[in-house]
Amino acid sequence: MTGGVGPAATVTPAAKPLSVVLENIVQEYPAAGGGMTRVIDQVSLRFDRPGINMLLGPSGCGKSTLLHMLGGVRPMDVSTPSAGQVLIDGVECHGPHDDAVMVFQRYANRPDLTVFDNVAFPFRLKLWKSLLPEAEWRQRVADMLKAVGLADKQGLRPAQLSGGQNQRVALARALVLRPRILLMDEPFGALDAQTREEMQGLLIELYQSRPCLVVFVTHDVTEALVLGDRVIVLSTQPARVADDFVIDEPRPRSAAWQRSRETQALEERILNQLHQASPGKGQVRVTV
Amino acid sequence: MSEFWNPYASLAGRQRRILGVGSVLAVLLVWSVIAASGLVSSTKLPAPWEVVAALSYLSWHEGQSMLLTATLWSVGRLLVAGVLVIAIGIPVGICMGAAPRVNAALSPLVDPFRSAPVVALLPILVMWLGIGETMKIAFLFIGAVVYLIPMVRDAIQAVPQNYWIGARDLGATPWECIQRAVIPMAMPRIADAVIVAFSVMWTYITVAEYVNARQGLGQLIQNARRFSAWDQVFAGIMVIIALALATYQGMVWLKRRLYPWETQL
Repeated sequence: MTGGVGPAATVTPAAKPLSVVLENIVQEYPAAGGGMTRVIDQVSLRFDRPGINMLLGPSGCGKSTLLHMLGGVRPMDVSTPSAGQVLIDGVECHGPHDDAVMVFQRYANRPDLTVFDNVAFPFRLKLWKSLLPEAEWRQRVADMLKAVGLADKQGLRPAQLSGGQNQRVALARALVLRPRILLMDEPFGALDAQTREEMQGLLIELYQSRPCLVVFVTHDVTEALVLGDRVIVLSTQPARVADDFVIDEPRPRSAAWQRSRETQALEERILNQLHQASPGKGQVRVTV
Repeated sequence: MSEFWNPYASLAGRQRRILGVGSVLAVLLVWSVIAASGLVSSTKLPAPWEVVAALSYLSWHEGQSMLLTATLWSVGRLLVAGVLVIAIGIPVGICMGAAPRVNAALSPLVDPFRSAPVVALLPILVMWLGIGETMKIAFLFIGAVVYLIPMVRDAIQAVPQNYWIGARDLGATPWECIQRAVIPMAMPRIADAVIVAFSVMWTYITVAEYVNARQGLGQLIQNARRFSAWDQVFAGIMVIIALALATYQGMVWLKRRLYPWETQL
């Protein structure tokens, strides 16, 4: 827990203004031939209101590393960031904090627990147990399962579910805590196209019922355009902010909007920015 | 025959049983033929029927069962040592797996013993602990725990990091991550370690009961050997094999019941 950022803030969302700041973030790793490789170079970003913010960049560009910094979850043997600051509500973030919850591509559902127990997992930890009476969190878990469409599957185990259903479990486990900040690390990247679309729709629904600050990492241009209030395009090797723009179109965004000339222009703009910032390096995906 | 070299082909249960029983019967047949032909004297190789006779003699003679008494003693010692191995070995292995510093400090003390001649420790244990039960239990304990601890440590370290990170992100303290995410995920492999520990103890039971045993299967074999009753030696060895096999099968069955999700990882 970071000093001053108390768990109470999470239980009563939006009780105070939201402020998440990445300031001049630099990340370097020891290079194979000695010296250091800079993977993130002077990235500064500021989020101050609920919304879906897409971090878009080629695979391996360092966008996940940025997201992990926001969550306070660090790779074990590297100290991140090498330079710069992560500030949450003005307080520097050093470790995991309970304002932000992450959803990973590898959803890490426990194979030995039922769907219900997987979603209820955080409430069995000291931190949350002390904040919510059991009857209340049980109700919350039940409501959450209903919201993600797994109410009739709560007694099953992950192996009995599809990939999409497993990702619903992971999403439910994160949102049941009603976080002020939701960090998503390519959560739908491993799903087939149709399931991915379903999950995007579900995320929009859940977001609209309880808006929070979402930072969503993806390498899928279409996903960024379908979901994002704001799209931040990152170049690669090293990662810099190549573009940062707002999309006003209300969600869910129709197929007609996706095919419109305006959207096509956005798509082209993103690809151009990426190409200029880091020619020949990395790939982004455009799903049709 | 096109499926002969294929590690992924599954045999029908009936075919598997026929092949298994067939090979055992073949060995029994060769053994019987050698014994009956008189090529090897029956003092060196008792015939299968002599071993069966010895088994029945040991099972029930003059109103008592030497075999049952011996088995109960051996099983008792094994259980006491087994409880100690589990109660001490699993926590130590978990701490080593979960805390690199503990591992660094303890692994030079534990790991080399996996390849150490544990049997050579027996005289030392006798010197320290005497020739009573304590020595026998201690010998079984050491023999098994040096296998169990590294296996438990490896089981903990094999749990994918994402479970730890996921729990940590949800607000778990480091110890809660170990307790509520890592240990439950490591349980099937920890159960495997316990199964190996019991197999090891069955192989050491005769050695443990070698010194001054008045009861036990090891003593029974030792005694029979002294009187050159090779049929009884064979019988005793077979009983130990059967018990070890039953222990193994029972524990594997229990493990599958307790952790049915393991194969679904």
